[in-house]
Amino acid sequence: MRRKAGLVLLALAVFFTALSPLLRWYAFPRLAKIPPSQYQDMVLEAKPATLLDYGTMQPKKVDKLTVVQTLKGNVEESERIEKTAGRDVVVWDALSFIAGPDGKMVSTIPERYIFDAHTQDPVHATGEMVDGDPVQRRGIEFKWPFLTEKRDYEYYDARARLTAPIHYKGTQEFRGMEVYYFEQTIPWTKVPYPKKMPLPGIDSTKLEKQTGTSMWYTTKRMFWIDPVTGAPVNGEEIHQEEMRGGSLLQGRDKVTAFAGHVKMRADYVDSTVALVKSNRTLVLLLTSYLPWGFLGLGLVLLGLALWLEARSRRPAAVVAEPPVPAPLA
Amino acid sequence: MRALIAAAVGLVAAFALVLTITAIGAPSGETSPKPLLTTVPAVKK
Repeated sequence: MRRKAGLVLLALAVFFTALSPLLRWYAFPRLAKIPPSQYQDMVLEAKPATLLDYGTMQPKKVDKLTVVQTLKGNVEESERIEKTAGRDVVVWDALSFIAGPDGKMVSTIPERYIFDAHTQDPVHATGEMVDGDPVQRRGIEFKWPFLTEKRDYEYYDARARLTAPIHYKGTQEFRGMEVYYFEQTIPWTKVPYPKKMPLPGIDSTKLEKQTGTSMWYTTKRMFWIDPVTGAPVNGEEIHQEEMRGGSLLQGRDKVTAFAGHVKMRADYVDSTVALVKSNRTLVLLLTSYLPWGFLGLGLVLLGLALWLEARSRRPAAVVAEPPVPAPLA
Repeated sequence: MRALIAAAVGLVAAFALVLTITAIGAPSGETSPKPLLTTVPAVKK
């Protein structure tokens, strides 16, 4: 009976010990992925900001400018691309809607971002675009890979349509979480006009050709990343756009089209932190809690199995005879 | 010999479990019916 129990314990010990590395190095890379149906919105604000009044072509100070960013997973498109890509793919249809202090549109920029669901590496397929222009991204955008490392990454800047390094600048604490701080600076770069602008009757794609006035942009982008999930828990951007030269500026060299320090709205920071904390627990289950727990359990069971085996092999104890009383003289 | 068989059973069971879980994977779900936002959402409570 003891022997049987020892063998069962041994089988369980091997089972749990083997599960430990299998979960961490086989299951985790295959199970940890961005769901293709994810829907997420984000609100960022610049208080105050400078905005160009297109009526007078004069920059003016405004109390607030709001950026509403939506990411929507397109499941049908991801399934279509997966058939040829041969891997799990996520397709995010994104929209950056920029609203002035009155809530009216300042510009909107749609994007289609296609990437590997596990590694976040970009996947190139028909439909990948920024503001209707076909692009081929390099680097990450919006989110870092799971188990983010303390190193620089390549980050895609959709406004400038270019990839530049985003530098790891140290570890910080944010809302009780240890996060990695990253920073990227895009120097003044000539960029296309957004296709949708508050200029009724004017085709912004022909604006530069017709007037000679071009759009320029610079930004300093800051992200605080949870290293376990790779999700940003906070983001800021010091963003500037200028119109330069041409007939539109009536003799001036340049005019500020937009300038402001854009920060995540407090309620969105709260909800993002809560979401990241719950996802972080799931990732830690597969990378840490379960592998270490199973390894410990496996070793305990192995010890028990060996102990039972040793006991079953011990020879039966000799029963001592009761002492015989000495005969009376 | 019995101990070897018991260890092999444990090992095979671990591989079978992990391979099954990873093969099943997570469901894809459906594209959200919610629109891409073109208004500023109210403050969340």
